[in-house]
Amino acid sequence: MDVKYINPFLIATQKVFKTMFNIDISMTKPLLKQERTTSGDITGIMGLSGDKKGAVAVSFSKKGVFFIYNALMGDGCNELGPEVIDAIGELTNIISGQARKELERVGLNLKAAIPIVIKGDKLETSFITKLPIVSLPFSFPVGNGDKETMYVDFSFE
Amino acid sequence: MKVLVVDDFATMRKIVKNVLKQINIDNVMEAENGKQALNLLKSEKIDLIISDWIMPEMTGIEFLKVCKSDETIKNIPFIMVTAEAQKDSVVEAIKSGVDNYIVKPFTPEKLRETIERAKAKVSAQGG
Repeated sequence: MDVKYINPFLIATQKVFKTMFNIDISMTKPLLKQERTTSGDITGIMGLSGDKKGAVAVSFSKKGVFFIYNALMGDGCNELGPEVIDAIGELTNIISGQARKELERVGLNLKAAIPIVIKGDKLETSFITKLPIVSLPFSFPVGNGDKETMYVDFSFE
Repeated sequence: MKVLVVDDFATMRKIVKNVLKQINIDNVMEAENGKQALNLLKSEKIDLIISDWIMPEMTGIEFLKVCKSDETIKNIPFIMVTAEAQKDSVVEAIKSGVDNYIVKPFTPEKLRETIERAKAKVSAQGG
């Protein structure tokens, strides 16, 4: 996995959070995950194809996703219902789209499938690739001085 | 102005409606796909169409082509909303006759500008 592919996901995530939520999201230390599992309570996943094949996943904790949903829709929520699932699918789609635009700049052309959303932490997923998963943790404020972490995980080969 | 928002995701329709509200556009109708939208266009006087790109049954591009080939609705400004920020997608939309496109995520101001440009383009073409 070439580290030049991390920046596109960083730029994309920061742009999406700034534009949609007016949040300056910050990335903490990237990790290489050997285990092929989801990184949060709810995860949007999109398969990738084109110059390479793989997948990108966007994961939130419950607290994080409730905050994001409220920021996005102006409605409160306290369960991972259909509207929240829709919202995470769409957010994954938007982050993926922006990341693929940035990846195009470094010479990588990828297409994405329609997102799917799964509920549950540490669920086994297939990223199609044999390479480790690059996991980018992003920290964002959720009020009352608290912070939550969102993960953008990706792998392609 | 009456706007028709077309997207298979209810959440995305709501997001677009919220953004339109922030630029003082409150008269908004919704459709889940191109077919539903075409039915609405037969009975409602719509001033602007904002459509998603990827939808089941009828894609945004297919819906766009039908609109632009129908004399009764071809002059309604048509804006494509897409997460596909890549050049190929943009070129395809332009070749298919889209009046403007906007890439997610977008601010209310960006949507306002996009709407104004789409209206100006149709107006310049005699619509």
